[in-house]
Amino acid sequence: MEAEALYPEGIERRAKKSFHIKALQGFGDTQIGPIYLGIWGLLAIGSFAITVLMIFIGYGLQVGWNPIRFMREFAVLGVEPPAPSYGLQFAPLAQGGFWQIATLFLTLTLVFWTIRIWSRATANGVRPLLPIAFGAALFLFSAIYIIHPISMGSWNEAPGHGLRAQLVWANNFSIKYGNFYYNPFHMVSIFGLLGSTVLLAMHGATILATVQYQSHRELDEIEDSTEGTHRAQLIWRWIMGFNATPHSIHVWALGLATLAAVAGGIGVITSGPAEPNWYLWACRAGITPGGIAACVPLP
Amino acid sequence: MRNVHETVDGPIAGYNDRQRQILRGELVGLIAFTVMALVGVIVISVWQGETRATEGFRAEYEYNYAGVQKVNFLQYLTSKNITPTQISPEAAAAYGVWAAANPKTKNVQVLTKYLGAKYEDTAAIFGYMSQYVTTGLGQSCEYCHNLADFSADEKPTKLNARNMFVMMFEVQNKWVESIPRPEGQVIYQLQCASCHNGVAKFWNKDLKAKSQESFGVAGGGMPYDYTFADERFLGSLPDADGRVNYFQVIADRTTPPGLNDTARNQNAMYHMNTALGVGCDFCHYGGYFRSYSLPDGTYKYPKAQARHMLGMLQDLTVNWLPQLPPLDANSVAAPDQAVAPNCYMCHRGYVVPPGDIAPTEPIQKVAAPLLAPLQDIPIPISVLPKP
Repeated sequence: MEAEALYPEGIERRAKKSFHIKALQGFGDTQIGPIYLGIWGLLAIGSFAITVLMIFIGYGLQVGWNPIRFMREFAVLGVEPPAPSYGLQFAPLAQGGFWQIATLFLTLTLVFWTIRIWSRATANGVRPLLPIAFGAALFLFSAIYIIHPISMGSWNEAPGHGLRAQLVWANNFSIKYGNFYYNPFHMVSIFGLLGSTVLLAMHGATILATVQYQSHRELDEIEDSTEGTHRAQLIWRWIMGFNATPHSIHVWALGLATLAAVAGGIGVITSGPAEPNWYLWACRAGITPGGIAACVPLP
Repeated sequence: MRNVHETVDGPIAGYNDRQRQILRGELVGLIAFTVMALVGVIVISVWQGETRATEGFRAEYEYNYAGVQKVNFLQYLTSKNITPTQISPEAAAAYGVWAAANPKTKNVQVLTKYLGAKYEDTAAIFGYMSQYVTTGLGQSCEYCHNLADFSADEKPTKLNARNMFVMMFEVQNKWVESIPRPEGQVIYQLQCASCHNGVAKFWNKDLKAKSQESFGVAGGGMPYDYTFADERFLGSLPDADGRVNYFQVIADRTTPPGLNDTARNQNAMYHMNTALGVGCDFCHYGGYFRSYSLPDGTYKYPKAQARHMLGMLQDLTVNWLPQLPPLDANSVAAPDQAVAPNCYMCHRGYVVPPGDIAPTEPIQKVAAPLLAPLQDIPIPISVLPKP
């Protein structure tokens, strides 16, 4: 079925024809294309290609260019940052240089991608909330890979590039800084993460539950709410005493989701320079199990 | 402009065909992903089943002294498909002749010093050797002895075994007897089987290949052949206060930057998890790994014990194994060779090494042992609960 027949609204300004793939209808009923490349997209793709190349060269060296071992050990392969002795200097390729190049181009990729989203938002005549939201993720990435390592004086503080390397970094970072779960910014970040997901679940379920009353036509409902929205709002007032509006639910979702990344980034940046041991911070704050008494004497 | 596809009446309205199709697809997708995830977990569990059954983690979240039991050594051998070795008929016959001619021992230099005059009796020595050495090493008498003259020192294996006995008793006296422990906890004794576990040439380069096969080269051969023999570990000696820092990683204002030290610590800890078959909570308070106590004040003896054992491992690596030359090119003796001693060498997945023995007879201290340590490694001070 033609997309235009399904979505005849004039608000969707498509430059070219889009396609539907029958098999994907059940998985979100997405439209395919048109995609815009542009200079920023081109730069992002090129930069990301260099990142992937550096990482895969690093992987290849680790497995001796053996494709079977590459497949078998893919989950544990990692391109690691230079040793602490290199500080913030350039390292030889095999001793962290690959990581440095890959990280540089990965950062550039994300910056280019943010600009690309901004340029498309501008061209599409929409407010630049998408690049701002993506900027929150970019901030978290920068905090972990750039800002914190520079403030500590060593690239070794950053994660390696690899599936296991990410998990190992998360573990090691938490251990070194005295248990990251006691970092108050991490607490706020988790609140944002869980809050945004529960909000998304509530919102998605509510709209699907009232779709027969046209509540899924959210943009129209924002301007002129009708039965679908009224029923959706009423059920939440019945359940918890208050409701969001078709507009405010999206503001809450955007706010909580970006809060997760921004608070997480602040938590990473403050680990070390501001507070080297979050468990001891929590002890001083009196929130560890057993209270202050359990913290003294340490260790 | 509003575009209402259709108007639906009634208190519980139905979906139209298109909405129903979308929801059906999402439901199928959800079920498919759930089934795939479950199948994945089952496949991985079956795939790793053997490893988990023999070496896997047995979570011991509560440190229960009564729960720390030694496994039966013969059962352990059976689980590893190792048949306990018996003395060969030739050796048994030769011993009969030798004992008849020599009711008192000749050329016994170690057991009599550490275990007393009882072992000046040939029958006592035979009992000790056949009970502990034959089973522990998986070898009959002729592996070390000239069956025509049991007292002869002509075989290098016998000289090596003698030195190893000295090492065993000295390490027992210095490290095992001094382990920090709660009142009443049993101290097991080292025996040949503590390390050998029924195999004479047990700790060799084949283990590295086995580990790499199991965990992948990129996994560093972890965790069976994890090596503690790095410069920092071997060079960590107690300071003037008797404190030593092998693996401390939690930051303070003076901690140097970088996560490599933490990674080194975590690799060692993962090795210990596997080597002893325990989770982190066996030694640590999970909220703060540096602490020796739970929030309710319960003292975690295993953390102090593990730290003490690291001192023993350091002593073994620096002082004893370099003095015990390998008997063939595939054996490992020195720290710069393929596999250095680690926790798994003795523990084999259990809290108490299967090859240890229950305390049977007191071990004497010997002022001038046949083999002396190469350097003095003092016993570090343990952080113990305040009375």
